[in-house]
Amino acid sequence: MTSFIRLCLVLLGICTLAACQKKDDATTAATGGDTVKIAFMGALTGDVAMYGKPTLEGMKMAAEEINAAGGVLGKKIEIIEADNRGDKQEGAALAQKFTSRDRVAAIVGDPTTGIAKVVAPIAQKAGVVMLSAGSTGPGVVEIGEYIFRNTLLDNVAIPALIDYFARDLGFRKVAMITSDNNDYSVGLSRTFSDAAKGRGIQIVADEKVKDGDKDFSAQVTNIKAKNPDVIFFSGYYTEGALIMKEARKQGMKVNMFGGDGISASTFLELGGSAVEGSVAYLGFSPEQTSGETAAFVENFKKRTGQVPEMFGAQGYDAVKLLADAMKRAGSTDPKLFRTALAQTKNFPGVSGTVTIRPNREPVKSPLCLLEVKGGKYVLKARVPVKLD
Amino acid sequence: MILQQLVNGVALGCTYALIALGYTMVYGIISLINFAHGEIFMAGAFAGLLLVAYGKLNLFLALAGAMLVSVLLGIGVEFVAYRPLRRASRLSALISAIGVSIFLSTLAMLLFGANARGFPEGTFPSRQIDIFGAQISSLQLLIIVTAGVLMLALELVVKKTRIGKAMRAASEDYTAAALMGINVNLVVTFTFALGSALAAAGGVLVGVLFNAVSFNMGLHAGIKAFAAAVLGGIGSIPGAVLGGIVLGVAEISGVALGYSSWRDAIAFAILVLVLLVRPTGLLGKRIDRKV
Amino acid sequence: MLIDPYIQQILISIGIGVILAQGLNIITGLTGQLSLGHAAFMSIGAFSGALLTIRTGLPLPLALLAGGVVPALAALAVGWPILRLSGDYLAICTLGFAEIVKVVFLNLELTNRAFGLTVPQPETTIPLPLLVLLAALGVTLFAQSVRSSRFGRALMAIRDDEIAAAAAGIDVASHKLQAFAVSAFLAGVGGCLYAHVLGYINPSDFGFLKSVDMLAMVVLGGLGSVPGALLGATILGAAPELLRFMATYRMLVYGAMLVALMVFRPNGLLGGINLVEFVMRRSGRPPRRTGGSP
Repeated sequence: MTSFIRLCLVLLGICTLAACQKKDDATTAATGGDTVKIAFMGALTGDVAMYGKPTLEGMKMAAEEINAAGGVLGKKIEIIEADNRGDKQEGAALAQKFTSRDRVAAIVGDPTTGIAKVVAPIAQKAGVVMLSAGSTGPGVVEIGEYIFRNTLLDNVAIPALIDYFARDLGFRKVAMITSDNNDYSVGLSRTFSDAAKGRGIQIVADEKVKDGDKDFSAQVTNIKAKNPDVIFFSGYYTEGALIMKEARKQGMKVNMFGGDGISASTFLELGGSAVEGSVAYLGFSPEQTSGETAAFVENFKKRTGQVPEMFGAQGYDAVKLLADAMKRAGSTDPKLFRTALAQTKNFPGVSGTVTIRPNREPVKSPLCLLEVKGGKYVLKARVPVKLD
Repeated sequence: MILQQLVNGVALGCTYALIALGYTMVYGIISLINFAHGEIFMAGAFAGLLLVAYGKLNLFLALAGAMLVSVLLGIGVEFVAYRPLRRASRLSALISAIGVSIFLSTLAMLLFGANARGFPEGTFPSRQIDIFGAQISSLQLLIIVTAGVLMLALELVVKKTRIGKAMRAASEDYTAAALMGINVNLVVTFTFALGSALAAAGGVLVGVLFNAVSFNMGLHAGIKAFAAAVLGGIGSIPGAVLGGIVLGVAEISGVALGYSSWRDAIAFAILVLVLLVRPTGLLGKRIDRKV
Repeated sequence: MLIDPYIQQILISIGIGVILAQGLNIITGLTGQLSLGHAAFMSIGAFSGALLTIRTGLPLPLALLAGGVVPALAALAVGWPILRLSGDYLAICTLGFAEIVKVVFLNLELTNRAFGLTVPQPETTIPLPLLVLLAALGVTLFAQSVRSSRFGRALMAIRDDEIAAAAAGIDVASHKLQAFAVSAFLAGVGGCLYAHVLGYINPSDFGFLKSVDMLAMVVLGGLGSVPGALLGATILGAAPELLRFMATYRMLVYGAMLVALMVFRPNGLLGGINLVEFVMRRSGRPPRRTGGSP
């Protein structure tokens, strides 16, 4: 028994020795040198890679453009990338690496709320700015004053959407479907039902599904009996597409409205003719006529061979926002440019105009409604959002 | 509306039945829960999808092709992961089965991506048929009929053919069967082949029905199908179909009443209850434990 | 703080892995009952401890205690009916149990449904990484003492031949239940640490793949071997960091590894080797042979 204890102590000692490294000098590398490092936090492989990959592309594009024009305060932007595979522990480990080893000035990410919540405390503690270009759930920026995001929030978009339902489309009865193992969906549904009160919209059905479900026959049968004007689905594209297929199968003619969760090419591929007429609301549409955004879309297409969507645009905007804040503060030290970032007003991003509120939450305008027509997303309307 | 939900339940249940048939057969012979059975189902679905989408075959030819692919896969899995462990502990065999399951589903994810894929539209032009006010699609009807037909065909094979007799002998007493001169390896291989073919047929049909083929469809459906097999009586072929239908109806009832969050839990709850209260299931035979 | 925070994070992950592996090893390695849903106990422990910390602000050791006791009680409740089932069925039932726990937590307001819980960083007298490593060490020593005790030998007897063990007078049902409860306690402690270290937990984190992670650690090291579980957890905890390029293929490797180990080396890396005796022999002092063999 004692030999075993000895063995364990030896192992512990080895671990500790391996871990001890000379701690670098206290000055942050973020301010020294001729580069300013911005890290990408997101998934390049796995289930949620479709949020991470385009974000990184957008970031790189923005960095290249800024560097070509002379950089930020004379320094070149260096994008540090890694893949967290959508895993929280990996995200935490990478966040530690970015803040302690790479000495980044800012982290752009994570696009998902879950990992954003894990990374934020680490960034906050290290005094590094975190700017999430995609997470929409509650409880992210509250973690600390270094934490920001630049995505269209549901509690900003939904009231505008509901007014549009009532005013422009004449909808009165909504069937709401929630995916209840999906925090994005649960939050969005809650926002929707709260905002629907007192706006003349009645939620006639409140059905639940789960991410991963394939059979929706029972829920659709229930909904059909209530005769709604529209189906509002707060979940993701796979389930959304399959729900619509089932709805059409059971003879329902109404369309589906949803958030950016259903704005993915898979929604079109799986849904086929069943999703014609369905609408997703987003903070971005590639069909923009104004100069800057059109140029962005062209360049993105040339660079990646694909039309950009929301995450690419927001990743691009994130880097540009950071650079703008650094310029205004006259420093690449997060302690200093953090304040400038918090005071951003009417920043003209390609994914909409952004203002950061005093509580560090973003307000973006406009809300873009994308309708599925002929198997493609087509801009149906731009609903303005009040920027305060 | 109740009739419609009943139809939904029976149709869903028959999708479980198709997978359960394979489970019950393999378990009946070598007493192994082929954890990877769900992955063979998934492989069949993908094979069918690829044959239709890229090979431009019609659905029935693709079905045959998918069955061939799954048979080869199933036999391969048995040879590599189960046969060497026939004399080993049950724990080892079970862990090996889990390993195969994880391997195949991850492989599928890497090859085909994490997103679900659909069959090209028009693969099986499905019409809605009206029965007393309830809608049933011709595809759902096809699945129900297929489950019934396969059940009868399997019963025929097991009860009336020589290899069927060998299968029954091996399931009753493995060692004795070997001593009687039955080529047990051949029986096991044949059982796996048959089970895999069934799984593939199920995979393609279900893939077309839900129009979603994904790397994790096997993990998901596999456990439920196992619950169906146990409910019906593991080792009993009609039991697999009955168990499937009962499970499907129970699940849909739960969802229709508003408990959709619990739908997967219903399958497990049924499984546990059956195992505790009546382990031989609805149609199974009583087996006495020999010391 | 003289240790690089990045390395600290990895060591913490490994430490938690060791605790989880030792826990699972007791029910699956020593007693031979495959628990495929052990992530459920991890989840129950994580949420119990997290809720205690969030609602009452009590110090970490109390949260850890709660995080261990609650899943242990759950294990007693659940184990009593299902442990009498044979291997395959038990495994599936534990899988089902994990699924049910996940669904319950996703729907309970108490656990904040799908939003999960944010856990504040605990105040500790010693730095957290050291705490986790000491806990891992403590658990390993505890596991070893279980293994070499009479209780442990009874468990192994049950694993090797349940009917013979019963014939020899061992109360099989009671032993299985106790092993299950101890196992769940450790999984819960691991989960509770996980919650406090990561700062945010969600019911969906504790699914089938998490259970497979734990199983892989135990199987790699060698079922039933305590140093094995330590080694398995260390290798599988460090590997993704060292072999980052292989990260996507992790599950692929795990699957193949499980099959290969079962077919070629069911004892894993250290199973069948009594590490202590091995070291002693090497240093020239052959050990005394006492009762149970490895």
